[in-house]
Parts: sequence; structure tokens; C-alpha cells
Amino acid sequence: MRYRCRHVTRYSYGEMVTSSHLLAHLAPRPHPRQTGRVTDMTILPWPASLVDRLDWFGNPTTYASIQTPHRELTVTVEMEMQVLPPPPLNPAQSACWEQVALQALERAETVEFVQASQRVPPPDAAITAFATAFFPSGRPAAAGAMALMRHIFSEFSFDPTATTVSTPIAEVLTKQRGVCQDFAHLMIAALRAVGLPARYVSGYLRTLPPPGQERLRGADASHAWVQVWCGEGTGWIDLDPTNGRQADTDHVTLAWGRDYDDVSPLRGVILGGGSHGVLVAVDVEPL
Amino acid sequence: MVTGKGRVRPHWQGFFSSGEAEAGAMEESWDAARRLLFQNGVTYHAYADPQGVERPWPLDPVPLLLPATEWQAISSGLRQRARLLDRVFCDLYGTQNLIRDGVLPPGLVMGDPGFLRPCHGLEVQPAARLTLFAADLVRDSGGIWRVLASRTQNPTGTGYALENRVVLSQTLAESFRNCNVERLSPFFEQLRQTLASLAPRSSGPDGSPRMVLLTPGPFNEAYFEHAYLARHLGLLLVEGADLMVRDQCVYLKTLGGLERIDVILRRVDDDFCDPLELRPDSALGVPGLLQAVRSGNVTVCNAVGAGVTDSVALLPWMGKLSEYLLGEAPLLADVPTLWGGDLQQRAAMFSRLDQLVFRPAFSNLGHTPIHPASLDAAARADLIHRIRRRPQDWVAQEAVAPSTAPVWRDGRMEARPLVLRAFACATPDGDWMVMPGGLARISADDRYPTVSLQQGAGAKDVWVVGSGLATQPRRSRVTAPDGAGDTGPHGGDLPSRAADHLFWVGRYAERADNVVRILRAAARRLSDDAHPGADEELVPLLRLMGWVGMIPPVIAASPAADAVRAMRQSLEIIADPGNPGGLRAHMDRLRRSVLCVRDRLPADVSRLLVVLDQRASTPLRSDPAAVQLRLDEIAPLLAALVGLELDGMSRGPAWRFLVLGRRLERAIGIVGALQGSGVAAGTVDIGAALSVLLELGAANAAYRERHPIGIRREAVLSLLLADLEHPRSLAFQIQTVERQLAKLPEVEGDGSNVSPTHLALSLLSTATQLVRDPQPARDAGALFDLTERLGRILPEISNLLSQAYFSHVFARTT
Repeated sequence: MRYRCRHVTRYSYGEMVTSSHLLAHLAPRPHPRQTGRVTDMTILPWPASLVDRLDWFGNPTTYASIQTPHRELTVTVEMEMQVLPPPPLNPAQSACWEQVALQALERAETVEFVQASQRVPPPDAAITAFATAFFPSGRPAAAGAMALMRHIFSEFSFDPTATTVSTPIAEVLTKQRGVCQDFAHLMIAALRAVGLPARYVSGYLRTLPPPGQERLRGADASHAWVQVWCGEGTGWIDLDPTNGRQADTDHVTLAWGRDYDDVSPLRGVILGGGSHGVLVAVDVEPL
Repeated sequence: MVTGKGRVRPHWQGFFSSGEAEAGAMEESWDAARRLLFQNGVTYHAYADPQGVERPWPLDPVPLLLPATEWQAISSGLRQRARLLDRVFCDLYGTQNLIRDGVLPPGLVMGDPGFLRPCHGLEVQPAARLTLFAADLVRDSGGIWRVLASRTQNPTGTGYALENRVVLSQTLAESFRNCNVERLSPFFEQLRQTLASLAPRSSGPDGSPRMVLLTPGPFNEAYFEHAYLARHLGLLLVEGADLMVRDQCVYLKTLGGLERIDVILRRVDDDFCDPLELRPDSALGVPGLLQAVRSGNVTVCNAVGAGVTDSVALLPWMGKLSEYLLGEAPLLADVPTLWGGDLQQRAAMFSRLDQLVFRPAFSNLGHTPIHPASLDAAARADLIHRIRRRPQDWVAQEAVAPSTAPVWRDGRMEARPLVLRAFACATPDGDWMVMPGGLARISADDRYPTVSLQQGAGAKDVWVVGSGLATQPRRSRVTAPDGAGDTGPHGGDLPSRAADHLFWVGRYAERADNVVRILRAAARRLSDDAHPGADEELVPLLRLMGWVGMIPPVIAASPAADAVRAMRQSLEIIADPGNPGGLRAHMDRLRRSVLCVRDRLPADVSRLLVVLDQRASTPLRSDPAAVQLRLDEIAPLLAALVGLELDGMSRGPAWRFLVLGRRLERAIGIVGALQGSGVAAGTVDIGAALSVLLELGAANAAYRERHPIGIRREAVLSLLLADLEHPRSLAFQIQTVERQLAKLPEVEGDGSNVSPTHLALSLLSTATQLVRDPQPARDAGALFDLTERLGRILPEISNLLSQAYFSHVFARTT
């Protein structure tokens, strides 16, 4: 699938902001199933510095600083990308989760995704109990991960009013409510609790579904899902707990990392400003 | 200290030969040392203390003596260790061959929260990586020095070591000379030179690099050291909010505008350095700092991310690392250490649980050691559970039986285990210079060495003795006496934050002074029966005390017949140390505000405040005579503070803000006295009230000179309001504020707003006209109007100054 995406973020402030620093993960991340590029990035007021680089995880990232006083700041990014479908997955053929957990510790590319991170603290008893139910002895890692994903999809309610960006995972688990970011973090916490490497993926969903299909949850905004490593044979697979299915050509990837903090689409520090509001609009249309 | 045969070891002989080490003499030098430290305000904060109070620095009067030969071994081992960890830093933040080639287990690095991903790939100049390196060493029972841990992210201690040396070289002057002690100064001179060599450009006014020391602030445990070190190295002491990044360069916000910074010696922990790329909740860092480093526009030392080389989990791999990276065997032994992330080591860890000391594996997780053997069954089970759940977060170290050193305790020598923190400073040619000495911490525990200052029982100076080298004092800059040559920061670049604090030091100092004046006037009238009219004069004093918030309104409103009883009760309230309007609270506010800017005030200010604080915090009996005695001690100290302002500071912007604060507060106080005593509204016996006001305004003598006969309303008021010859008149304060404000740079208003400086000046000229008007001295209505108007104008001027000069907005994450 080929897409054109447009992502607009508009901050408005109660008082004058004297300067802003931004860190953006707003570009298609190149990987074997995806190619793409940013066709336009406009920041208003005009930034004094704009620097692109690749971060530790290999995601394109942009630093910008705005030094003219402003009460409103708009970041508009347009990009085009092409996404290929994932190879067919046979969960039963993946290695058993115990073996995968052991392999994961030996490899630099997987071991860091087993560790706790800023937003995914070490598992408490509740998370551990929740996670172990999906991983009976000897179960193939991918089968356990898919069961976990389906459970979150069917038992948890998608509810944008239930949580905020800072709601802890433990609370999401007891409330059984949240949005894509909460479900992704919960699933990552559960996978890491049994020793499976799990990454947080930031991206988009296509806005309008193909004819005859239901509209996906989390379209029109930034989306998030999970990658789990299922052993050397199967590798990383993309699972979307918010929609209860494997991520495919409807999913566009911007960045991955240990959790939201590594890859948030736009992170900023401002001087001044008082209270602030933010509006985000995302549009993903097939070409 | 003593050989097996009971003889004094050779390197201690010089120490004992002076006679200073006799018990009596030692007691004396102990007292002297404590007094010096106390007066110099050497303190550290203990976070565990709920009050967050400063503790006096616990210096032991007996130094740790190390013979030059023993030191030589430590020194070369330390240089090698610094070189090694520097290479480890480069590898981990670069190609990571250590992981690829299997030298280090991947989880050891990737599981370390101190491995900061945003710092990967940053290009850092060689000497800027581990500019200052510290290691904690213990000497085992076999006499071998072993590394307990490294300190690379925040190598605290050099400043304390220097201050220890300054104090002991004074109190044990003769022993110090006899022992041929190696000097510390060359080390600090090297540090200064290294920092200067790291500057990407020279932005200072004299063509030298502009360098700062970045501190988390006065509430950090080691703030004393930050201020001390900054002063000694000639760096400007700044907090994160003083700096900002523009065009990927770091600037200092000063009264005169932005000034470019070239080198930052930081004492803020790694992950707090930049809220944009690291911890978003950090208020201590500078947003955009990492990008400024990345673009090569500023040097930060030690390099951000250095915490990864602090990891105790690296210790089991030191031999392998040294072979792989340097091709050398390690010169320094380590305390045998097991890392829980390694299967075999973990098994060993659990098999010998009670013989080991456990501590967090990674520096971001803390440093507190735990001894399973000393825990009760429940705590022990809990520890085991925690380790089993996340073994990779733990290391276990052999409980080395440490050798002891003599310590002065309760009038005699006692043997205690200790930990030596040794320091090395990078040199521009890629080597390290080791400080000949260091900071020895006496362990609070007999059995195990503890490292933290917060748990330790004391500190010692370390003397490297009798090398015969470098002992002849050379009269060059390099070998200036230790601690001498404190170069102050440049006067011109006063950060806005410091200006704000100085302004408030002035205000609080004057407020404390005002409170003491009122109390003295009250106590004297209670204790002195010979004072005519004393009882009537208690009424305006009570009203005034109520007005300024020292006592509750009910008591302040007591009728004349009840005034004596009410005033006795008031003194009790004010003497209560828990009362937020009491004497103690005022001294406390003053002390706290000085804390934030003590590096910009004469050193004697801190000493004065230590004494003041001690006077104000000793419990106080509330009988008038006792209160009066105490106030008689405090008042001259406050006066000495004014003396230091007048005579001990050059007339730069720092001084100007101090004076603005004091004069403005005094003006507000005079207006308050007129209103609070009831004079302005005419609600008290005017004669009695005026004689109180004359006393509070220190104007008795001046008044009698001019008007020998009796109290006349108009004469008293025109002296207090309009007399420019009297330094406590209202007109005098307003004139001073106007003059000093005019010398500050004018701040422009934003957009359509008028400049706040301009507004303040125009308010001041209104105030001048008001006090010059002769009418209020004659007419009660005019006096009332005058106090009402000035009661609004003066605080507004204070607000405008804040708006103009102190509005340092804090960064927030969105």
C-alpha cells in the first residue's frame, strides 16, 4: 500500500512563550516492510535551528528551536510511504517462550527490550499474574503473545476519557479501560514480565477503511502498537492490541523504542506560556 | 599507625614529633577545627533528614597519613583505572565492540538505566569525558588497596578535601610542616587548565573561555562544595534556570543580557541535564543542552552519560576489560564483586548470602549497601525476594575486613575502618593527574566500610607524607598555599536569579533588623522600671507588633490598662521557635536567602549568619530580661551585616540589588510603623507613640540635637519623613532606591507595555514629592493620606523590580 500522511499539531498558550525546543519523531521509519520520506515539514513560527538525525533505535528524529515569542505554535508534516504486508505467520511454529526468553538475554538487539523502562516499570505481582496466564509451560512465544493481544482487545474497553498520558499501567489493568497507548504499554509490561522482548511502536492507521470494512480504532490520531520478539526464526512480529490483530498494510510506522518516552511524536520544552492546549489532526489516505 | 611490635610506624613519626598529637593538644586542635569549620559554614545536607537541615561537616582532627611509596602505587593504579573507564565510555557510546566481541554481557549495558541512548554517538573531546574521576578505595587486612566503586557522573569530594586541608594545615601547622605533606594546589590548578583547554571558543571579555559550574542548587547535599569549588576555580556558580540554549549555543541570562558559555563543569546528575532529551520532569537542567553539545558549541564535563562507567556491575569484568582495551593487567585490585545478571555469579551470590554486602548494580539506582546478615528474618526474606525478581539490578561484594585508622573520639584515639575517595583530573595530553591526598570517610560501622557521606561518621584529610619531592614550597602560582587565591567570579555577569536572591537578602535582613528593634523597645519598657511613661508606650508597640504579624490581633488590641500583661504574653509568643512570625523564623528566612547567593557575598556574611542562627535558635526564656539580653547579642550582629554591605562589597550590580532590597524594606517598615502604631490614624496617645517611633528610627539623639525640649509632633514627623540628613528617614530611603535603580540597565517592556524600570522610576519620583511635602507633618489627615499612598506605591515598586529583573521563567515540558 502507498499512503500520503499529513500530521498537524497546534499548541496554543495562555501567555507569551519566549522560546520552545522541540524533538519530533515525525518521519516514516525505514524498515524491510516500509519505505518513505517526508515531503514537507513546516513549523510556525519559523524555527531558528532545525537538525535531523537518526536516534539510537534508528528512528529519524528532528530537533527544532523556536526563538521568536509566540502564543501559538504549529507543526505540519507531510510524508509519503509504501508498506508491504508482513510475511505469513504461523504462531504455533515459533519457539517456546522459555527458550525465547533465554535467547533474548544473549543478544544486544533484544536484551534492552526485556528491561524495565521509564514508562514500563518492573512488573508488580498483579502484572506478573496477568501475564503468566497466557504463557503456560512450553507454549510457543507467538501463540502466547497473540492470546494476550486478543484478551486485551476483547476484555478492555477503548475509552479516551478513562486515562491520561500519565496513567500508570497498574491502573489500566484494574480499570480495564484506556486508549492505544495504554494497551500497548500494558501488553509490553506483560510480555517483559515473562522475559519476552517487547517494543513500543508509534505510527498511524489509514483513516478510511477499505470498502466494506469497519473503521479501525485510533484512526485520525497517532496510534501505537507492540512488537514482540519470538525467537531467532520468527523474529519481531507487530501486534495491535487495540484492534486485536497483527499490524499489516493498514499500519504506518514512525518510530519504535522501549516505550512512549523514546518515540513520542512531538516532545517540547517551553519557556513561559502559562496554561496550554494542544490540537492534533492526522490524515492517512491511500494513494 | 603502630607496628606489630608497638612502635610508631615511620611515616607517623613526623606527626608525633611536634607535640600536637598529645592528648591535650589534640583536644585543643579538635576544638579549633570545629570552630573553623563552623565559622566557614562548611556543611552538607542529609536528604534523609525531614527538615533538610544543614549539618556541620564532621572533620576528624587526625589526618590519614600515607607514605609516599604506598601512595605511588595507588596513584598509578588510579591513573590506569581512569584511562580504562574512559575507553569503556568511548566504546559504549560509540561502536560497542565490547558487546559485539563478547567482552561484556549485553544486558549489563542495556539493562543499565545509566546508559543514556540520546548520548550515543555524541562526539566528546578526550579530556572532557572523565575530566574529574573519583574512586572509593578500601584497604583490606592484608594492606592491599581495593576499588569499591568509581564515581564518574558526579565525583563529589574535591572541595571538601580542599577545605579539610585548609583547616588541618592551620590547626596542626607544625605537624603539617614536619610531615612534608604533598600540596593539593597543583591538582586544582591542573583542573582549571584542563577545563580552559576544553573550550570550543573563548567568549569571555578578556579573551579567555567563559566557564561555569552547574549546581542543582542550595538544597543539594553538596552545595557547599559547589560554591567552594566554583570560587576556588574562578568559575561562575549557576543553576539550570540561569542558562538557556539559543542557536544551539548555551547562554547565561544576566542583567546585562545573554552571555555565551563555553565550558560547563556540571554537578547535576546525568539524566537531569536536559529535560528535552533526558528526564522530562527535570527542573535542574537546561533544555536543548545535549543538542548544544552535539553541535560542538559547548563542552560539558564530565560528559553526560558518564554514569554508565559508575556501574559496580562492571567490577567483575575489570580484568577482561583491561586486557582487551589496554592490553595491560589492572594495577589496582577490586573488591571481589558478583553481578546478579550473570547466571554463575548469581548462583555464587545466593550460596554465600550472609558473607556478602549487596548494593544496587547501577548508579542510577542508588548506592546504599545492605548486609543480609544484619537483617531480621522478614527483612532478609524480602531482600532475597527482591533480588530474585530482578537479579540484574544487584551486585554482591565481598565484605572486605578493612584495615583501620586512628580516629579522635571522646578525648582519645580509636581505631575505625575507613574508605578513601581518591581523585584524578584529566590532562589535555590524554593522561590523568592524581590528587596527592583525598577524602577519607570514617565508617559508621565497625564491620563494613560504608561509603556514603550521609551514613558515614566523619571525614578525614589525607596526607601523603615524606616523599622528599615537591615538598619545597615553590613560590609560583602553582604552589600557592592550599585554599588561597580564591578568585571571585566576574562581577559583570550577575545572573537574574542571583539578583533576585540578593534583593531578598536585603529585604529579609532589614525585616529581621526591624523586628529586633521593636522587640528591644518592648523588652526594655517591661524590664526597666525607671523608664518614665513606659506603660503608655507599650500600647503603640503592641499595635505595631500586631500590624507586622508578630502577635495575634486580639492581643495587639489590648487596652492600656492591660498592656503590661499583654506584652509579657507577646514576648512569650515571639520567643517560641515554632512561631512563623517569631524571632527564630525571621533569622531562618534570612539564613535561607543568603544560602542561595553566599558565593556572591563577602565570606564573613556566612560566618556572621552561622553565629546569628546559633543565637536565634538556642532556646530562649520569655522573661523580659532574658529576651533583652539575647536581643543585645543579636542586634550588633545584624548591624555588622550592614557594615559588610557598606564596606565589604564593591559597588557592582550584586551590591546594588542588596541595597535596593534593604532600602525598600526599610521604607516599607517606616510607613508600616506610622500606620501600625496608630499614629497615622490618630488612634493612640500621640506623645507616647512618637517617642516609640523616634526610638525605632534610631533618631533620639538626632532629635534632641535639633529640638532639646520635649516631643513635638511636627518636628518628630518631619525628621522621620523628610530629613535627608537622617539615614533612617523615609526620604533618605527613597532617594537611595532612586539613585541605585537609575544605575541599573533599563529593561525594555514587551510589546506595547511600558518598561517596568521606567514605571518604577516614575513611582519613585511621585514618592519623593509626597515625602517632601511639609503638610503631613502638620496635619493628621494629610499624614493619613501619605501613608495610604506610600503603602501602595512601595510594594508596587518591589513588584516592578521583580518583573524587570528577576522574571526568569522556568522551562516546562509539553
